[in-house]
Amino acid sequence: MSAAAVATKPVVQAMVRETEFHAVVTLGLTKRFGRRLAVDGLDLRIPAGSITGFVGPNGAGKTTTIRMLLGLIRPSAGRGTVLGHPLGHSRAYLPRVGALIEGPTFYPALSGRENLMVLARLGGIQPRRIDTVLERVGLGSRGLDPFRTYSLGMRQRLGIGAALLPGPELLVLDEPTNGLDPHGIAEIRAMLRSFADDGMTVFVSSHLLAEIQQICEHLVVIETGRLIFQGGVKELLAARAPELIVRTESREDAKHLLRLVKSIGRSAHLVGDDESMTLEIAADCSWAGDLNRLAMADGITLVHLAERRSTLEEAFFEITRSCAGQTVRENDACRGAGGSDRATGPRTPEAGRP
Amino acid sequence: MIWRSFESEWVKMRRRRLWYGSYGAITAVVVLTTIVTIAGALHHPDARGDLTLAQLAHASGLSQGLTQSGVLLGAVSFSIAAFQFGGEFAHGTLRNLLVRQPRRSVLMAGKCLAVLTFLIGAVVVATMVAICAAFVMAHLRGIPTSAWTSGTGMGDLGILLGDLAISACGFAIIGMIAGVLLRSSVIAIAAGLAVLLPVETILTDAIPGTARWLPAQLLEAIAQGGSATAPFGAALTTVSAYLMGAVVIAMLVFVWRDVTA
Repeated sequence: MSAAAVATKPVVQAMVRETEFHAVVTLGLTKRFGRRLAVDGLDLRIPAGSITGFVGPNGAGKTTTIRMLLGLIRPSAGRGTVLGHPLGHSRAYLPRVGALIEGPTFYPALSGRENLMVLARLGGIQPRRIDTVLERVGLGSRGLDPFRTYSLGMRQRLGIGAALLPGPELLVLDEPTNGLDPHGIAEIRAMLRSFADDGMTVFVSSHLLAEIQQICEHLVVIETGRLIFQGGVKELLAARAPELIVRTESREDAKHLLRLVKSIGRSAHLVGDDESMTLEIAADCSWAGDLNRLAMADGITLVHLAERRSTLEEAFFEITRSCAGQTVRENDACRGAGGSDRATGPRTPEAGRP
Repeated sequence: MIWRSFESEWVKMRRRRLWYGSYGAITAVVVLTTIVTIAGALHHPDARGDLTLAQLAHASGLSQGLTQSGVLLGAVSFSIAAFQFGGEFAHGTLRNLLVRQPRRSVLMAGKCLAVLTFLIGAVVVATMVAICAAFVMAHLRGIPTSAWTSGTGMGDLGILLGDLAISACGFAIIGMIAGVLLRSSVIAIAAGLAVLLPVETILTDAIPGTARWLPAQLLEAIAQGGSATAPFGAALTTVSAYLMGAVVIAMLVFVWRDVTA
């Protein structure tokens, strides 16, 4: 056995172990288009049976990654498995995968039903499944209408319907809420939850971080093709300190309260400029009573007191900002737990800072 | 596997507008050529050797009009095939198909077979309609048609139908290859027709003997049952070699190229 083979064997064995718990595992997945590095050594772990959000700025490499997982694009380097089968053997796992890639694209002149029939015939799927799927995505009554007459929301739902055709174990959805109104977004959200309830692994990319926060248990964040975070959404948000938001009756009171809070060692600041009457104090709601008593003792009336926890959007901006502009070496560290072969836990934003 | 791909493609091709448009265009081309050929036949032979009414009265007279439709039929076949293949890239529907059928060579082969059967059907329908038109025109021009319905006449017609189908399939395969390589139906049709029609015609006129080597000229010769510059057997052999080579290249490109559309 060659030295390279000996060195590779433990990695492969580790990957095999990972596939027991993960629907998708990749190791050093890389894609280069000419001189442009679209995806750079991505180590993904998508837990089986979870809803995993896949986020990153435009051009971060999300769609390229999804295309590699679906066998549409050949990786330049790296390896991986999908549903236990190597990436290079997409024919082994694609019958158990449903996908909506870069928006719904169908034949405009064909009806929704006929469009699904094209895919059903191709995949050897029973045609009766089409009616089930159309009902499930709420297009049962519009299945015979031409695709070109569908609204954007209906098109997205047909795209999801097409992904559901094979009764997939893994559902890969690229921007399923793109261009939808709030009502449409809520419908898709409910649909994704129901898929997860059925035991499907859902891997969904989206720009709408609030949506991801609401529906995903697991999160993968990439930027410029590199993994910068993967782990639980709750863990990511819990790692960020909550704040108490306090508003007083006057700005003099606000400044006085700021001095009081700082005098007892709490970190606080006025929101915006010195004229503001709002303070942000680094503390959770358990300290709210003490703060209220402290203010009352000095004759300050609080007109607003609430705890504010970080949103996913804030966490996203912080971790993408903390990794931006760093050297390659720093970025390797920035990949942190997510980039490691063993750990897949969350990397707090602070961990990536120099 | 190929059967699934074939069936899937036929779901698309069964749509009424494509059916009427394609079959209508091919039928119109063949019927129009037949009518023009019979209408333009001379009463007496001229110095240029143009077709006469007496020649049309022979057993092969029924086929005379049809043989002239080879290039136009080819152009329509090329366009339909290029549209079917290039459109998958242009519309982004190819990625959906490849997720359901990751074996790209199987997908391509099935689609190719479906398009060819669609076109063969169109050629048969067009020929039937053209035959009816030919009988009407013969009646109007006073051409006796008893020889047309003789065994020899029917045999000639059968051979011609085969030649036309081979020629149309050849043009269609070139269209598919153009669609796959250029990944756009519009560019494939525009570039393909430009090369196959004016460019080849100019080359043939400018450089004697090139008709034996140019694909559209060879396919036209096949539609006519062979020509003086390109006998049927030689034309069929050369064009088959071209098409096989081109199909292999297109298949390799299709299988290996990243699908980014």
